[in-house]
Amino acid sequence: MTAAGAAATVAHPTPAARAARGRRRTGLALTLPAVIVMAGLTVVPVVAVLQRAISGDGRAAFGRLVASPDFVRVLLNTAVWTVVAVVGALVVGHAAALLMHSRYLRLAGFWRGLFMIPWIIPNVVGATVWKWNFSVDYGLVNHWLLQAGLIAEPVGWLSDPSVVLIALAVVQVWFTAPFIMLMVSAALTSIPEERVEAARMDGAGGLAVLRYIILPAIRTTTGLAALLMVVWALNSFTIIWVATGGGPAGASTILPILIYQAFQTGDAAMVSAVALIQLVVSMVFAVIYVRAVRGDMEEAAS
Amino acid sequence: MNRRVLATATWLGIAVMAIWTLAPIAVMTFTSLKPRDEIFAIPPSLLPGTWTLDNYVEVFTNSSMPRAFLNSILAALLVTVMTILLCGSVGYALARFRFRSARPIALFILLGQMVPITVLLLPLYEMIGAMRLLDTIAGIAIAHLVITVPLVTWMIRNQVAAIPIELEEAVLIDGGTRFDAVTYVTLPVAAPGLAAAGMYAFLQSWHEFVLASVLTSSTTARTAPVALTEFASEFKVDWGSTMAASVVLSVPVVIAFIALQKYFVRGLASGGVKG
Repeated sequence: MTAAGAAATVAHPTPAARAARGRRRTGLALTLPAVIVMAGLTVVPVVAVLQRAISGDGRAAFGRLVASPDFVRVLLNTAVWTVVAVVGALVVGHAAALLMHSRYLRLAGFWRGLFMIPWIIPNVVGATVWKWNFSVDYGLVNHWLLQAGLIAEPVGWLSDPSVVLIALAVVQVWFTAPFIMLMVSAALTSIPEERVEAARMDGAGGLAVLRYIILPAIRTTTGLAALLMVVWALNSFTIIWVATGGGPAGASTILPILIYQAFQTGDAAMVSAVALIQLVVSMVFAVIYVRAVRGDMEEAAS
Repeated sequence: MNRRVLATATWLGIAVMAIWTLAPIAVMTFTSLKPRDEIFAIPPSLLPGTWTLDNYVEVFTNSSMPRAFLNSILAALLVTVMTILLCGSVGYALARFRFRSARPIALFILLGQMVPITVLLLPLYEMIGAMRLLDTIAGIAIAHLVITVPLVTWMIRNQVAAIPIELEEAVLIDGGTRFDAVTYVTLPVAAPGLAAAGMYAFLQSWHEFVLASVLTSSTTARTAPVALTEFASEFKVDWGSTMAASVVLSVPVVIAFIALQKYFVRGLASGGVKG
């Protein structure tokens, strides 16, 4: 179109242009309710947290927090919990997904549905059941491990400060590994059969195929799954709260638990100080995740 | 020979996974069917010696659980309706309209999913308090939207995008309005996906613990997950009743999942990451 033509369009919008603008407006209007609700439920609270955290009280709370010896411990706990839970879930999830694609497996759909169950039952229920399983005297974990001769005496899974975080991370793995299985399963389906066959023809063994063909092919999914697991682990509250409440003696207290404890004691400044730290830590991973997924989504959209 | 080893390894792996996945569920179910004295037997056993439904009778006749289940159902239904209305609107717009702010809006909603709930806890408590909705089902339902809206937006957006736009255009050409097109073409085609999205919203609310625990202070609005933990203090950790209530809390979820597994798996795969 010539410049004159373009100017004319601006001056007197053609019916088509007017319709296009109308459609844009309709589109925008349809997004508004959800945007307003989400802004009210996320942006407003986050701003409230920021405001309180940088106020005088908030800065004082930061001082108290950093000065207390427990703070470093909470950060360390959070790190240990996150690493164990994420690595565990990745290993179990990938193993399960590979099993689902074994050519010797019958009824793969049935097994996949079955293995999804931990992920779909309520967290509170799972945490409660595991709390019972981990009971020193009445729990089946100790009973079975004793019978198998793997431990010499009952372990205080939730009462021994040196094992409690690992035991809880196992529960988190139990919950989240099924989701990884789902993600990785989908990725495995998209590997062309010929590529694996070709490697086999060239004499590659099962492990070589896994290492040089399969794992590189699903690398993106693995990365996304890892990021998502980090975010979930960092934000996880229910399992630890229900099973131990952060104890014994703070041995399983991670950042979300610390926030809740401050909430219970009514220390609003402390809540906001810890919340700001948690927000910064988890948003770093969240932003990386969303940026990574966005490419995928735009590709899906076009 | 090699085939045999691989086949054996596969089934061994399945056996290990099955035990790891199902053992806790089996413990829950069987413990709920044990009489009180057997629960605290040493050494513990998986199966009950005598089977009994006493724990279930206790839960349904002599605890706050029935009320809590009702509260959970009401809250979850309210969440589902609000979520579908909000996300149906935004999801359709993101799938069908091209406008400049579409991408930032999509990202904004998606990022909302990543904000830790514990960070929002105190401000949401104050906000619901200011709306005078503390200890009400409506208060819980509003707070739960922060969990459901992001992913359901994405599920619906993808669901609509997968429907050829030509179907809607055909209605427009025949003289129908866009509203007709959506009502008579898009909605019916998208129905299974919408059902899965609605089910997802329902389940998220049904599962949710921390917001519900903070926003309720009495049995009036307390939901089942919160009541389950109250159980412990109410009867000095009555494990039989706790397990029975756990089973009741899980059964509807498992049934819903089995019924909608196909749509669920697809929706989640497309919402979290594209496979």
